[in-house]
Formats: sequence, C-alpha cells, structure tokens
Amino acid sequence: MVAIKIERLTKKFGDFTALSNVSLDVQPEEFVTLLGPSGCGKTTLLKLISGFLEPSEGSIKIGGTDVTHVPPEKRDTALCFQSYALFPHLTVRENLEFGPRQKKIPASERKTRIDDVSEKLDLTAQMEKLPNQLSGGQQQRVSLGRALAMRPSVILFDEPLSNLDAKLRDQVRIEIRRIQKEYGLTAIYVTHDQAEALAMSDRIVVLNNGRVEQVDSPELLYHAPKTKFVADFIGDANIFSGTIVGQKGENIVQVETAIGTIEFETPTAPTSKKVNLCWRPESAVIGNTGIKAKVVHRAFQGHFTDLMVETNGTIFRVQAKRVEAQEGDDVQLSVAPNEVILLDQSA
Amino acid sequence: MKLRRGLLIIGLLTPGLGLILALIGTVVYIAVSQSFGYYSLNGTNEFSTEFWSKMAGRKAFKRSIQYSIYIGVFSAIFSVALAYPLAIWLRKPFAGSNFIGAVLKAPLLVHGLVAAFLFINVISYHGILNQFMQWLGIWSEPRRLQNDPNAYGVLILQTWKNMPFALLLLTGAVQSISDDVLDAARDLGAGTWDRFRRIIAPLTVSGMQAAMVIIFIGAVADFSFQVIAGPTNKQSLSQLMVSFKGRGDWHSAAVVGVSLMMIALVGSAILAVVARMVMRGRIK
Repeated sequence: MVAIKIERLTKKFGDFTALSNVSLDVQPEEFVTLLGPSGCGKTTLLKLISGFLEPSEGSIKIGGTDVTHVPPEKRDTALCFQSYALFPHLTVRENLEFGPRQKKIPASERKTRIDDVSEKLDLTAQMEKLPNQLSGGQQQRVSLGRALAMRPSVILFDEPLSNLDAKLRDQVRIEIRRIQKEYGLTAIYVTHDQAEALAMSDRIVVLNNGRVEQVDSPELLYHAPKTKFVADFIGDANIFSGTIVGQKGENIVQVETAIGTIEFETPTAPTSKKVNLCWRPESAVIGNTGIKAKVVHRAFQGHFTDLMVETNGTIFRVQAKRVEAQEGDDVQLSVAPNEVILLDQSA
Repeated sequence: MKLRRGLLIIGLLTPGLGLILALIGTVVYIAVSQSFGYYSLNGTNEFSTEFWSKMAGRKAFKRSIQYSIYIGVFSAIFSVALAYPLAIWLRKPFAGSNFIGAVLKAPLLVHGLVAAFLFINVISYHGILNQFMQWLGIWSEPRRLQNDPNAYGVLILQTWKNMPFALLLLTGAVQSISDDVLDAARDLGAGTWDRFRRIIAPLTVSGMQAAMVIIFIGAVADFSFQVIAGPTNKQSLSQLMVSFKGRGDWHSAAVVGVSLMMIALVGSAILAVVARMVMRGRIK
C-alpha cells in the first residue's frame, strides 16, 4: 500500500490557481522532495498534505485513509517548519513532549521517546534550555526531534535548512536523511535548492506554475530531463531548438541548431522535424574536432573550469577539467550523441 | 563628565517623573498622616491610631472592602475573559476587521457617567429592556433591574467600559505570536482550547497581567458607576470615603483612602502573581 496517495489535487485562491491537477504516489519509507522556484506551489502542496489548507478539488490519502478534509491536529503527520516554530516559553524537553502529551501518550512511553530522540539528535545537554538559548542548528534539531517524538506515519519538511549557514546545512542534511532512514519514515521535503534535492531524495517532484513537470529519481532528472524547465532548473544545461536534417546509422539523428549540427541518439525517430535538445556543460569534450567556438569568459572553479563560449552569436556553457584555453582563444568541442537529450516538444 | 551626564538625566526626568512623584507622594503622605491624626482640619494635630481602630470595628467598612474587591476582581476577570476571544478573532486582518475593532474600542471614548446614565435608561423600570421583554412576552410585567443587590449592573458597566482597554493590550500581545508557532501546536495535535491554554495564554501573560492590574485598580476604586447603578444596600470604599468626608470626618475618610490604596496595591500584586501562575502553568 502506498503511504501517500494524491489524486488530481487542485488548489485555488480566488482566481489564482496555486496548484493544478497534481497526482502523486509516495511509497512507505520513501524520501520525496518537492522542488521548484518560488511560487511554484510546493509549499501549497505541503500545506494540503499537512491539512493547513483544504483542496479545491482532488483527494489525499495517508496510509489508505482519506484525510482530504481532516484537520492537521487529527492527521498522522508532523511538520518541520522553516522558522523552526519552537514554543519560546517551553524548554527543549517541554517542546519535545508537547506532541506526545497532546496525543495522551502514557508517561513511560513518552519518556522513552524523548530520551531516544534527544540521544539520537544529540540534545541531551540542552534539555532544560529555552529555545532562545540554542544555536540555529540546535533549534533545527529540536524542531526535528519534536516531529520525530510524534512517531508520525509521514514527516513533512518545509525548507528546514534555509536559515542555516552552508556548512551546517550539509551536516543537518545528512542528519535528516540518517534519522529518516533510521526511523523508517515516509518523508516529504520542500526546497528550492536543487543541490539539496539531488543529494537527499529518493525521488524528486519538480513543480512549475502549480503543475508537476517531472517526477523521477535525482539521477534520471539530471541525465534525462523531459522538459526545458527541468533541464534548466536541475543543474546547468545548454538548450537548443533545431531542425532534423538527417540520420546517421539506425539511431543517430542529426539536427541543425544555431551553433551547428548536433547529433543525438534515440531508439525511435521523433515525430516532428522541429526538436528541442539539451546537453550538460560537462558532456562537452574540448579537442580537435566538432563545433568551433570562442571563449568569452573563463572561471576556474577548483575541480573544473567553467567556460562561456560563443558560436554564431550564441553563448553557451562548457565545463571541463584542466582547460588550457583562455578568454579570447578559439576552441573546438564535441558532444557524444548519447549525451544529448531530446526534450518533450509539447512542454 | 559623569556628574554632567547624571544632572542631564535628572533634568530630563524631572518634568515627567518628578511631577508624578511629587503629586503622588504628597497625596499619599497627606492621606497617611491624616489617617493617624495629623493635618486635622477641625481639631488637634497629634499622632493617634484611634481612627484606624474605630474603622476596623465598623461593619460598614468591612462590607465596603468586600464589595470593592468583588467589583474589582470580577470586572478585571470579565473584561479580560471577553477581550481574549475578540483579540484572537481580530488577530488576522479581514474585511471589516478595522471597523469592528474601532466599534469595540468605542466605549473608551464614552465617559463613565454618561455610560452609567445610558445603562440606567436601558434597565430602568420603564426602560427599553423591560419594554422589550414584555413585548416578547417573556415577562408579564416590568421588573426592577436598577440598583440590583448583587451589583450585576455595575459589573456589566465596568466590563463594558474596561473590555476595550484589555482588548487593546491583548491584541498587541496576541498579534506578536507567529503563525508558525500556532500552526506547529496544531500540527502536534493541539485543538483550539489547547492552543489557547498552552501557547496563547502563556505567551500573552504580560499583556493580560497589565490589563488585569489596571482594570482592577480602576474598578476597586469605582465611584460613579456605584453611585448611579450600584446596589443601595452596599457602599464601595470610594463611596464610604466620600460619605465620611461629607460629614467632615477627614481622618476616617483618610483611613478609608489609605485602605483603598493598600487594597489596590496588594490586590494588584496578588492578581498579577495568580494570573502568571495560572497562565504560565507549565505542562503537567
């Protein structure tokens, strides 16, 4: 049985449609991330799952039970807020105990849960402190612990790392994933940070303008984006429109684009002559054959060098290790046909 | 440099704080002195505890203390109890919320005496309320509602007059609680009452204390509502003080006045402490 089943969910605020016809199945113990730019509807979807919003249309089932119109306090979910939302007048222990007390969990069971959570999240020494006496990372852990103490079927995260500095974010990211696996929780995680989504998730739901663009594993989203939006939003991508001009062998199709002829591999020939293609900047190989381009910007990034190159007035990105070329130099580059991705024409 | 700075601070504080301290200090000093036989307007000036001992033996004095405390405590509780749900309701702006807020605060603009007379017009023997109840057929004849022996009329007036003040203080306090904190409580299983009891009340206890104390002090020393709408068989401390003064017994009036000040002080402290204990009650 799926842990969460979302069917044709739509949410309207007056004339504005925040979420349109979203369907999604989340498996038990799966870590699913809702990813998209600001205003894409990811937080709206999270609020619908947690019960703070009621959908205009569609339904939500958690563990097979229809919870579409069940209020948040009666749902078997726990939400970790972006602002942590700790109760400022209660100590860490009281914050952790809040949920289990509300659910009338017996004192002995409550103690076991709080001891377990505080130990796993390294909060034992902070138990009698008030939230304003804790660092940002500790507050985040209390927020997570407060949700975990509920032992929910589904744990929801609303951009929980956005208030932490980069280093702490990495640590807490690993910690959240470890805890989620350890407790065997089904998790829905909202973020606009694609690196965070790629690093943490079993699957990613990419949302744009209230619609689902693609649902896939991080690897598939990166290597096989279906739409221009996904290709552009997940990592860097060079996206070109072109016209099919020929075929080479059984599976290689030649496309004339603004920067020259690009070949891509496909088992079935596209139905339209006009196509959209994309390739990742690191897929290009700088050598002695292929498209001729001029380096217009060079930025050394440590483990690779980022080049902005120009061909026929079109600027695109190339990333490579150990690049000798400097700004103003001419280079030649090629992209293997199996690295070029054919994008969905209708999107 | 330090001396100049100190003088500057004193100079800046003197017009405000100095005046308040001078006026209050003078009044308190005169009242306390008079209650012990000094500043006699019609007799000898000498230290005496006679006025206190005589007053302590008077049943009317004890009744007045009980009555004034009753009015003070219940006015404060009713005002705050009514203001809380309104403050929570008006926490988030909605169409018409500004207008509703303004209407609710209107009693602050109506003088107490005017309010008392309006109230009397409503509840008098041939007043609107009696006519309305007869028209509805609920009462067959007019009832005497004015100057009721339990002082419900005074309590209604006090609550009507003071609730907007409590609302002002509580609205600010309630608005300072973030949505996320209330949502988190809800997400963790807290229903409406639990959210109030365990989150809103403890986080707004300071505003509530201030409202309780200020309303209590005003209501415990009530004179105008009591004179117009209060029970005829009971006197508030203010009324008793004025009656002694009317008889030229300034020393007894001073005893009542000092008692009133002490009750206001002690009562406020007790109310504040009790309110904090109840509202900040840790989860048990």
